[in-house]
Amino acid sequence: MVLEATVVCVDNSDFMINGDYKPTRLQAQAEAVNLLAGAKTGSNPENTVGVLSLAGVRGPKVLATPTPDLGRVLSCMQKIKPEGSVSLIQGVQIAQLALKHRQNKNQRQRIVAFIGSPLEEEEKALVKVAKKLKKNNVSIDIVSFGEEAAEKNAEKLDAFLAAVNSNDSSHLVTVPPGTILSDILLSTPVFMGDNDGGSSGMGGMGGGGGGGGASDFEFGVDPNLDPELALALRVSMEEERARQEAQAQREREQQQQDEGGATTAADAPSEGGKAEGSQVPGEVDMKSAEGAGAGKEAEAAASAAEDGKDADGDVEMTDEAILQQALAMSLTTAAAGDPDPTTPAPTKEEEKTPAAPTKTDGAGGSGLGAMLEDQSFVTSVLSNLPGVDVSDANVQQVLSALKEKQSPKRSRTDDGDEDHEKDDK
Amino acid sequence: MTAEVKGQQDLVDLIEWNSVEVLNQSSGHPWVNAVKKGYRDDPGLYLESDCDEQLLIYLPFTQQVKLHSLLIQGPERETAPSAIKVFVNRSSVGFDEAESEVGTQTLELESDDVLEGKPVALKYVKFQKVQSVTVFISSNFDDEDVTKLSKLVLFGTPQFTTNMGEWEKACKT
Repeated sequence: MVLEATVVCVDNSDFMINGDYKPTRLQAQAEAVNLLAGAKTGSNPENTVGVLSLAGVRGPKVLATPTPDLGRVLSCMQKIKPEGSVSLIQGVQIAQLALKHRQNKNQRQRIVAFIGSPLEEEEKALVKVAKKLKKNNVSIDIVSFGEEAAEKNAEKLDAFLAAVNSNDSSHLVTVPPGTILSDILLSTPVFMGDNDGGSSGMGGMGGGGGGGGASDFEFGVDPNLDPELALALRVSMEEERARQEAQAQREREQQQQDEGGATTAADAPSEGGKAEGSQVPGEVDMKSAEGAGAGKEAEAAASAAEDGKDADGDVEMTDEAILQQALAMSLTTAAAGDPDPTTPAPTKEEEKTPAAPTKTDGAGGSGLGAMLEDQSFVTSVLSNLPGVDVSDANVQQVLSALKEKQSPKRSRTDDGDEDHEKDDK
Repeated sequence: MTAEVKGQQDLVDLIEWNSVEVLNQSSGHPWVNAVKKGYRDDPGLYLESDCDEQLLIYLPFTQQVKLHSLLIQGPERETAPSAIKVFVNRSSVGFDEAESEVGTQTLELESDDVLEGKPVALKYVKFQKVQSVTVFISSNFDDEDVTKLSKLVLFGTPQFTTNMGEWEKACKT
């Protein structure tokens, strides 16, 4: 709650046409000045803000003397045109003069200077002016921005700040290009004031500040400003997390069940060489599906990581990611249970080939092995196919071979089923 | 303790504290040390200049006063103020004006007066309707970079000396 008069020195040199701060440097400055003026007048109703342009054909010009009227500040920001080059020394001296003749002598004096173009002044001259400012009890905040300008000016401005700083009331802030000027400034001492952690400064900023300063807080809401909203957001976040965990648990269980079925089923056809041959087209399909699954898996993992970073907690994204991951995992486990893919496809009977796609379609992945195991099912499928004679010698041979391989295991587990199969035959 | 001037009172109670402004003071040694009661009597507490040897002290009063004399005391001879300029009723004097303008009165202090804390008389006629006074200290005795000032007292009389206690007595008799 510092009572102070501020003069904002805006850099309106020709360099301000540059678009490295959206939309242009000048517009970005105007936005920052508007926010700053709001913050200053908000933190104390008696605070005043003035505006001065640092460049121009006739040198620096006071556009608005320190005033508590925000409207005057905003309207004069619209009038600023980029022209000429910056003269910081002159500008700061004029600003100091404007501050000296402030109406309320109780106000502290502060200059906020935006510098986005290379300074022509000598370091010595700058330091001299800085000393004068310090002598007259004027604090100065310097906002240095623009890539090459900030680099060139760094040394001069550091010296300037060192000379002017008393009681740590002056600051130098460098804003990198490509960022939003006002957003960066919100969290700096320029906005916060020098005596507190920023809660009063942030409070003064109101709606404009709340949105900009979002990055510091969990849900983009300052818990101090709106505790109820923050609480509601946290509760809903936790509920959503619990829901997701429960769903993941369910899917895990389902997966385990599927896995159990798939592994026992996969044993059976892998033993019969000819049955293996019938698997080949299906296997290829599975492989491609697996590839796609793996791709999705990576995608899902990436999106999950993104979710972790994003504090907003995008619910749809997470759900989708988990679903994809589960799908991919089930596909890979099913594929792992498959017969050795390196085994060359043996000479297969022509009747078998049309059967394979049917199986793949019907099985849709994990249930495929189980269906092949069921011999009665295989027989019924074969008999239904056009142009396939079940009683054909070749077919019979394959079937009996299949049955022989399965029977020892079968007899152990399920005797009744085998009897039934024999009956079917 | 505080030296007294016959017929004049210490004006410390009439200073408007909120509006006092001292330029070029060091943050560790503020003006309070030299002006306020209690602080000013402690020789260990002093007002110190920051960037150079100059100091500008602006003291407004809560009502119009007549200034009679001025007491300035320094803790040591080398850094004690030697040349001062006094301005009357000027609210915004900066260092530039203070140096270039003549001022209401210019004083060259004696080193003994400053060390002992003797009041220095002002041209009384020029200080009749004083709402605020600005004391500009331009140099010290040994041209040091830092000026130290341990005590600053103003003697004078308030313009409106209505003492309610006396008025009541007068009514009764």
